[in-house]
Amino acid sequence: MYRLPLPLVPYLSEIQHRRVIEPNGNEVGKLADVALVPQGQFPAAQWAILATPRGEKVVKWSDLAMEIGHLRLRSRLDATPEATLPPDALRLARDLLDKQIVDTHGAKVVRVNDLQLSDTDGQLRLVGADVGLRGLLRRVGAESVAERVAGLAGRKLPRGIIPWHLVEPLEATETATHPPAVRLTIPHQKLALLHPADIADVVEEMTADERVAVFQQLDIETAADTLQEVEPEMQAAIVSDLPEERAADILEEMDPDEAADLLQDLPEERREELVDLMQKEEAQDVEELLTYPEDSAGGIMTSDFLALPAEITAAQAIDLLREKKPDPALTYYLYVVDPQEKLEGVLSLRDLVVAPPETKVTAIMDPNILKVSAETPKEDVASLIAKYDLLALPVVDARGRLRGTVTVDDVVELMLPRGWKKRSGRTLAR
Amino acid sequence: MTVAIGSAPVRLRRQLRIFLLVLGPGLVTAFADNDAGGITTYSLAGAQFGYGLMWVLLVTAIALVITQEVGARLALATGQGLAGLIRERFGVRWTAFAVLTMLVANIGTTVAEFAGVAAALGLFGVSADLAAVMAAAIVVILLARGSFSRIQYAFVAIGAGVSIAYAVSASLANPDWGHAARAVVIPEITWTGAYFLTLVGVVGTTITPWGQALIQSYVADKGLGARDLGPVRADIALGSGLFTNLVAAFIIVACAATIWVAGGTIRDAADAARALGPLVGPSATTLFAIGLFAAALLGLGTVPLSSAYFACEAFGWEAGLHWRVREAPVFYGLLTLFVAGGAVFVVLPGLPLIQVMFLAQVLNGLLLPIILIFVMRLSREQRLGGLRSGRVLYPLGWAITGLASLMSIAFVVSQIFARGAN
Repeated sequence: MYRLPLPLVPYLSEIQHRRVIEPNGNEVGKLADVALVPQGQFPAAQWAILATPRGEKVVKWSDLAMEIGHLRLRSRLDATPEATLPPDALRLARDLLDKQIVDTHGAKVVRVNDLQLSDTDGQLRLVGADVGLRGLLRRVGAESVAERVAGLAGRKLPRGIIPWHLVEPLEATETATHPPAVRLTIPHQKLALLHPADIADVVEEMTADERVAVFQQLDIETAADTLQEVEPEMQAAIVSDLPEERAADILEEMDPDEAADLLQDLPEERREELVDLMQKEEAQDVEELLTYPEDSAGGIMTSDFLALPAEITAAQAIDLLREKKPDPALTYYLYVVDPQEKLEGVLSLRDLVVAPPETKVTAIMDPNILKVSAETPKEDVASLIAKYDLLALPVVDARGRLRGTVTVDDVVELMLPRGWKKRSGRTLAR
Repeated sequence: MTVAIGSAPVRLRRQLRIFLLVLGPGLVTAFADNDAGGITTYSLAGAQFGYGLMWVLLVTAIALVITQEVGARLALATGQGLAGLIRERFGVRWTAFAVLTMLVANIGTTVAEFAGVAAALGLFGVSADLAAVMAAAIVVILLARGSFSRIQYAFVAIGAGVSIAYAVSASLANPDWGHAARAVVIPEITWTGAYFLTLVGVVGTTITPWGQALIQSYVADKGLGARDLGPVRADIALGSGLFTNLVAAFIIVACAATIWVAGGTIRDAADAARALGPLVGPSATTLFAIGLFAAALLGLGTVPLSSAYFACEAFGWEAGLHWRVREAPVFYGLLTLFVAGGAVFVVLPGLPLIQVMFLAQVLNGLLLPIILIFVMRLSREQRLGGLRSGRVLYPLGWAITGLASLMSIAFVVSQIFARGAN
């Protein structure tokens, strides 16, 4: 990633106590705190509280400019008008730092170790609460040392950021028994409105507890779609932390190949438990996929496919489609199989629609079909798909029976340069 | 029910029920204060100075009630343990300091508890290795049972066992009860360095940083609130005001009436138990050993728990026995470190057992003033509302903080000098 030429100021602890200077470079004090009214998803800093030798002075944030290592007032301190904080303003350091965040049920408690800020379009915005180990180490001034130590061990320090729009500061008056705590709400109805890929981005930045909470709250279908978008290493962790019933429900809803991949990463015991809890039909699909090595065509294929019996007509085939309502990805190619499930040929949706209704599917299909065996390495599958510009490739077993299909989205990652998916995800999330 | 609501017997019964529900934090903390280290200190006090330190027990009882009440009020008002409040008020650096010191000191204390178990069972001919492993197993079984409120009955039962064991050994010793009672009210001070060192030791083993942390996390964990102040006070008065020091008094009396009268010398609690045998009879040794065993066990149950709570609350990690291990890895990790680490120290030969226990005492001595100052400063926070320490509690609290701090510092200095001289 490239660095912006301006100093990035991602955390409150890194700007608090910075020197504040006048236009002529004269130091007048330190930045004591930043205040804002918590409105909108990512509220912008509105006031700065300066610690001067003559006490605290509140000024508008816009009267300051952030420069490397210090903040510069746009005019002399005496000439800068004193601002007053409205009663609903939050002082970030005083009111949020070190305070506890409790979840909606008031059960799980974390502490705000730091606050993540973001300088976008000249606005300093509050984007997240850092509740992770990194924030803690940063506050005691040990982040870089710890990072180096972790680096020596070949590990990275975990981040734990709760996106700000998921945190809801409570009014002091609202508390029943105990004084104000910042209450964490995950407004799932709001989150569920996002595209699963975007939810996945948000979820990846969360701490383990919140991740599980989100997957508890989303409806099954969205949960399944979201889980598929989450980074593979994290998928297994999430499924491990979810209650078994819930995990099994979500797995059923996932594409069998994705579900199988995920299950492959789980310990054997847990895997068997979950497969047992799944509906028979879905469990069978997944179990079959689990028998193939992860890196082979069998390991990445989906066992969801649409096979047309060889004896039916074009009209019957269309009726069948109407009845099954398959996913769009399954209708790229329609496969024709004989009663022994042996792959006979392939035809497209277009072929089917333009053919006279009474024509047999065997008459319009293309019998020269490119196929791979379940043991083919996935890289080979990817290069075949790329070479022949295919949208999907059928996978057959030793006896030529259709076992599944590998669609282009199953191998698209293999075609991209390493790390591309991750980077693009981050950029879009900004 | 025929009795009208609000009539005296019903109200009384309801109050009793509330009290029994709330009961625990004060009582358990009080019992836990008499851990292996405490028993040793009291034994030494009785053996060396007879009834000369009895008056200190009365003073520490009052001091303990006050510091515990101030702490309990903080937890009642905020629902938070001490570490959380320190974090919010004094920032992350002070918190890190307090947590690290507390953890190191308490590992030392845990080692001392294991050593206590080993010494106690050693009197029955059990090897130290077996004793440590047994103790670790019992603690794990205890902790696996769930939250504070679920294991508190076990704690209270053990504490009661300790009390009875020492009460009986005291009466077996056939002491001069009149002298003992007089000594509580009229100080019999010996103006020697050793006397004052023992005095400081008695105070230091009663008012402890981890005791302060324990009562608060216990009250918070139990989910008690402002309206429970009454029963909590009664709980503290009963525990800290009565039991802690009653047990201490019995031990002092038992040793004073026997070892002191006979002019013997002892080095620790196990010595005391052994010395009681020829003077009183074998049953006294047995009772004394059982008391030491139970006290050490109670310390083993509470010290690791209170330490793990303290650290986790400070840094926002899940803490509590109701979580599964995967949900609260740091909490259980710390518990394991304490229990396994403490046991290993006793079992493995060649490890600096004495040095670690010494370090624990010094660190606790250093930490106590800081913890008490934090507690007192927190006790005036606006948000405590009606639970703020008032015109009586606040100045008394500071007075105790001042005295205890002076003693702690004197103790630390004397310990370091004593070691330097060796």
